[in-house]
This record gives sequence, C-alpha cells and structure tokens, in this order.
Amino acid sequence: MTKADILQELRKEPGGEDLDLSWIEQPAAERGLRVVPGKRGLTLEEISVGSYGNPPDMTTNQSGRMRGSAPRADAQNIGAHWYSKSESWSDSAMMLYEEGLQRQWSSATDIPWGDLPELDEDLELAMSQLCTFLTQVEFIAGDVPGKFAPAIAAEYFEVGLFLATQIMDEGRHLDVFRKRALANGIGLLQAGPGAVGLLTAQSFIDMTASLHLVGEGFVQSLFRMGELIAHSEVDKRIFRLAAQDESRHVAFGVMHMKHLLETEPERREEVHTYLDRMEGQVGSTPNQAGLTGGGDTTEALAILLGGGKSEAQLNDGYQKLLAVRRRQFNEYMHRLDVVGLGDRRERLPERVRAFIDPPRN
Amino acid sequence: MPDTTTDEKQDEQPETPPRPQVPSGFQPPPLDMGWAKAPTERPPLPKDLGPEGFTLRLADAGSYGWAPDHWPYQNDTPRGAWPAPEDRRGLLAPYTIYEKHEVWAENAADLYELAIRERWVPATDVSWGSIEPLADHVEAALDQICTNISEQQYNSNQVLMGWLKEISYGYHEVKLYLATQTFDQARHCEAFRKRALSNGGGLGVQQPGFMHRTVYAAFKFSEYVSYVNILRGSFLLGLCEWGDRLGRSQADRQLFENTANDLRRHLAYGVDHLKHYIRHDPVNRARVDVWLNRGEAMYAADLRRDKPFREAFILALGDTVQQGKERFAELRKHQLDRYLQTLEAASVYNRAETLIPAFKDVIENP
Repeated sequence: MTKADILQELRKEPGGEDLDLSWIEQPAAERGLRVVPGKRGLTLEEISVGSYGNPPDMTTNQSGRMRGSAPRADAQNIGAHWYSKSESWSDSAMMLYEEGLQRQWSSATDIPWGDLPELDEDLELAMSQLCTFLTQVEFIAGDVPGKFAPAIAAEYFEVGLFLATQIMDEGRHLDVFRKRALANGIGLLQAGPGAVGLLTAQSFIDMTASLHLVGEGFVQSLFRMGELIAHSEVDKRIFRLAAQDESRHVAFGVMHMKHLLETEPERREEVHTYLDRMEGQVGSTPNQAGLTGGGDTTEALAILLGGGKSEAQLNDGYQKLLAVRRRQFNEYMHRLDVVGLGDRRERLPERVRAFIDPPRN
Repeated sequence: MPDTTTDEKQDEQPETPPRPQVPSGFQPPPLDMGWAKAPTERPPLPKDLGPEGFTLRLADAGSYGWAPDHWPYQNDTPRGAWPAPEDRRGLLAPYTIYEKHEVWAENAADLYELAIRERWVPATDVSWGSIEPLADHVEAALDQICTNISEQQYNSNQVLMGWLKEISYGYHEVKLYLATQTFDQARHCEAFRKRALSNGGGLGVQQPGFMHRTVYAAFKFSEYVSYVNILRGSFLLGLCEWGDRLGRSQADRQLFENTANDLRRHLAYGVDHLKHYIRHDPVNRARVDVWLNRGEAMYAADLRRDKPFREAFILALGDTVQQGKERFAELRKHQLDRYLQTLEAASVYNRAETLIPAFKDVIENP
C-alpha cells in the first residue's frame, strides 16, 4: 500500500473525516533522512545534511522556524532576529557545542575539596582575593552572550545552542571560584571595578572582539598559567578545568571573527575600533588589564606567583607576572593572526608591543 | 638584467618599528595588602562532604547564604565580598532586577546542583541505534511532535538567555540555576531535532507562534516564568510523561524521560518562584492571573490552529483514528491536570474555575 493509499484509508476510518493530513501527503520539508551516529555519537555535524545543513547567507525568517522545517504562511513575525549569517555564525559552533556537552564537570564533585591543604595565610588570602575577582567577573561572560541570543534567527540555531553552553560554563566558573574562596576559611575579600564594561557591546561582533578575543582570551591565558599560580593540586585542577572551558569560548569567537572578516572584509576597520577600545587606545582605561588584574588582584597574583610576600618573593612574583602578561599578549597576537588581523601588530600601543614576540617567520 | 622589483617593494615598506622593551629596572610597587583587611565573614571549613560534594548550599554558609530583599550594588560585586569604594566600582550595570521577589526561588541553589548531577548528552546517552523503521505516517507524526518541541525549546531559550543580563549579581543562585535551564533547553532543541532526522523522516511544519511571540513580549521576569516554566513547561512535561505511549523505541523513551526529568526542575523553580512572588505581596496573585489569562489564550490559539501537531498526536497515539482521538483527549486532560497541579503547588488555587474559555475548549475538544 502506498503512503497515499494509507492516508486515504485513515480519512475513511470512523472519526477520520476531519483529518487533513496534507502535511504528510505533500511535505514541504525534506524527508527521507536516516542519519546514523558516528564515532562521537549522533552529533550536530552529522545531522547537518541536505536542506538541514548549510545555513543560508541571509534569511528573512523572523518567526522562529527551525532551519529546514516547513513554513506556515500565518506564522507570527517576532521581528527580533538578524538577517545575516555573518552577524553571528561561527563554523566551529556545532563542534564546540558537542564538546561543551561532553566536557561538563561539577564543581561540587569533580574537585577534590577534601584534599585542599592548609596554606600559608598570605597565600590563602591571596588566593581568596584572586577568587573574589574571578567570582566577580566570570558571569559577566554569561550575561554578555545572553544579551544577543534573542537576535539569533533559528536558521543559525547552532550559535544559540553554543552560547547556552558558554553561559553554563561561566555559571560553573562563578560557582567554583566562589566555592574556592569559601573552602579554606578566608572567604570572599575585596571586590573591584569588575567587568560590567563588557556589557556595553552593541553588536555581536563587538562582543566577539571584546569578550572572546580579548576578555576570555586573557582569562584563558591566566588559567593556563595556573600551574604557577596554584599551590595545591586542588587549585591546579580548578584552573585546568576552567581553562579547558575558556578554550571553547575563545575558539568560538575566533572562528566567528574569521568568518565575518572573510565574508564582509569591509568591516575590518570597524573590528579594529573595538580592539582599539579594549586596548585603551581611545582614551579609556585598557579593559584587558582590568580583566585579569589591576590593583588588588595584581598584588594577590604576585604573592601567589612568588610564593609569599617577602621582598625576594614579591620580586620573583612580579617577574613571573610579567611572564604571564607576556603570554597573554602573545596569545592575543596569535588570535589576531588566526582571524586575519595580523597587521594589528603595528597598531598595538607601545606598552603592549613591548610584550609581543617577533613574528615567527 | 637584475630584477629590482623586489628591492623596490622592500624600499616602499615601512621599517618594522623597534620592539619596545619591557622596563628592565622594573620595581615592584610597595606591598599594600589592603584587600586582605576587607572585613568580610570568615566561613567555616566544610566538613563531612557527602556524595553530593561541596554544594553551593554548603559553601554559602552564614551571611554568604543570605540573599537580601533588595540588592544594593549596581555592578558585579559578589554577595559576601567587600564592595569597592563608590569611585572604584566602574560602570553601573544595566541590570533592572534588584528586588529579590522578582526572581527568587528558595530551591534555586539545590536545583542548580541537581541539574549538574543529572546532565545528559543526546549525542551519546541516547540509544540511537535502537530506532527501527516505522510506517511513513507514524514516523511523520513523531517527527512533527519533535519539530514542535525543538522549536518551542529554542524559543524559550533565546528569551531566557536575554533575561540574564537583567538580573543583578546579588541573586547568584538564581543566575546559576537559570544557566542550567538554558543548558537544558538547548539540549532539548538539539535532541528532538536529531530524533526527527534520524529515522527516514525530517522536520515537520513550524508552529503558528502565538506563544513564541508572547514569550518574547514578556515585560517581567515572573511573567516569563509563568509562560515558560509553568504553562508551557507543564504541558510539555505532560507530553513527555506519555513518552512510553508516543515513542516506538528505547531511544524515543530515553528522550522523553530525560527531558521530563529536566522539566521537573524547571517546574520546581517556577513553582517556588511564583509562590515566593505571591507571598511577597498578595496583589501579585492578580498579576499572575493576568499573565495566565494571556498565556492560556495564546497557547489556545496555537493549539487550535496547529493542524499538523493535532493530527500527529492522533496518528502517534492510536492504532485507529478513533483510538488516537480518544487517547489524544486523555493526553490533553493529563496535560491540563499537570498544569493545574503545578499552579496549586505555586499557591495559585482553583485555577480550573477561571480557565480562559478558548483554552478550556481546546483541551476538552482537542
């Protein structure tokens, strides 16, 4: 019996007289897909096939219709979504979303809190101060992408899904650094100016430049230096896990900016202006310094890096802090190279160029 | 003849500017450690951590666990930290929610930890290989249901993510819990899309979208909670609880069961929040009623106009059309019961007597 025959039979059944079934008879969406799981399970990349893959460069979909599904003529128009793929798309979104799911961890049970040693009081105070700073700024990196999520059309839903994993990760970071400050008897200490400035981003690319390329990138470099900062295996583990999360966020932003600059190269100078602002070249405080240090947190970091507060230890700590800064700026420069903004090397302010290694070739 | 082009080009290029040096005579600033004197509470050392580990509730001991009725700091000062002097606080944040009753739920911290413990991964935690080929019309029916769920959860999620920037930092338990809800909703959007594409089918027809628009248009966070966590959440939970009757494979049942589990947390937050909101000021009960009236009317408009969704249930639930219709009516009744029970738990009593007529009609005559 053909499908048409079956549907005709259903309409003839008792109670079937009001069935329409045209949505099965003449489906407007592609059918016949039989996607099978690959080595990493049934991933978003695997189901991104046929008309369900390949997001269009532009969309007029303002109704929340998922990419590939059949439209309705009477669907409500929400009128809140961006039209252009390049506005938010990142080729890595699907892969990073899946990785984000696979690599979730629990601050409650994946950190061996019971093994936290009693540290020298100055080190414990410094760690609590660093954690106060991180507790303060980490969820801003959840608030900021959240600000733009309502504008992402369902044609590009993978971006929205990835941003949800970033929000989850940043929640866990707020949580784990808060717990760390509270776990060893000191508690939270002095709050600072924080990172509210990141919420001033007015477009997705403004956010990608300021949050992912600069803010998250600098935090990622700091976490990668966690082996130097931490004085226990517990703290090292926290930094390692958090760095792993930040790497996904940074990768998303890098790939978004790369996509934008490849598809809309005329926006290059616009992107430079966001970086100018973050580097403190438009008359404001350099935001990237405030994001991973400045004032109270710098001193706490120096104590942690030097192993104490004696003059020799502090000297050593500040020297290591300079190495941290060097790494932060060089990794920033590497991200700029990857997105195609290698020419920015010449535009960096002198105080930043002082830290940058010469080009590799 | 020597080729001078390269040289000429080289001449045209500006010289690479000399690399400025990091000051070699760097002098560390004098030790200050003023931050170490911040007069904050010294918390107790955590003891006897159980299988749930070092939870937020355990960590937030003493004053760290006390969320004030009004949060006084207009930046990202963490609760329990010593606030920076006013002239060092940086920009005032764009948050609009500084009153506890607008977002609070007593169970938020516990739900946050629970969500992390109960996380699942659709790519690998669902037995996709268990799905067997189905008759075309049955597969199309399941795909249509999956399409609706995927679209709904994407809509709920986009709007929820947008609310985070409104909520001030003092209620971090709520922000953290909501992070888990966004994570869950993303997973639902993803998982049901995968199901629709995995068995010879594809996506179905989009929804009319009256409810989508309403969710976007929520002016207040508690209004959003009324639409998403309470109304739409109850109906989706009711649907998922019927997963064993709708599904045809182990994978289908896993999808519905895991989603139901997530939704129970979303409902639990919604219930606790509305209860807190209403208890805060009795006039809030009337506000909740206004939102429920609006939500029910818009939801009814969607259900009444969504022919593919209706017919999908009839085909998926019965071996005959008549049986499908009877079971569909039972499902709608189950969903309504779930909704009314949720409202009762949230201290919104006797809603059954004041349901919007169009809503009541579409449930009783689906």
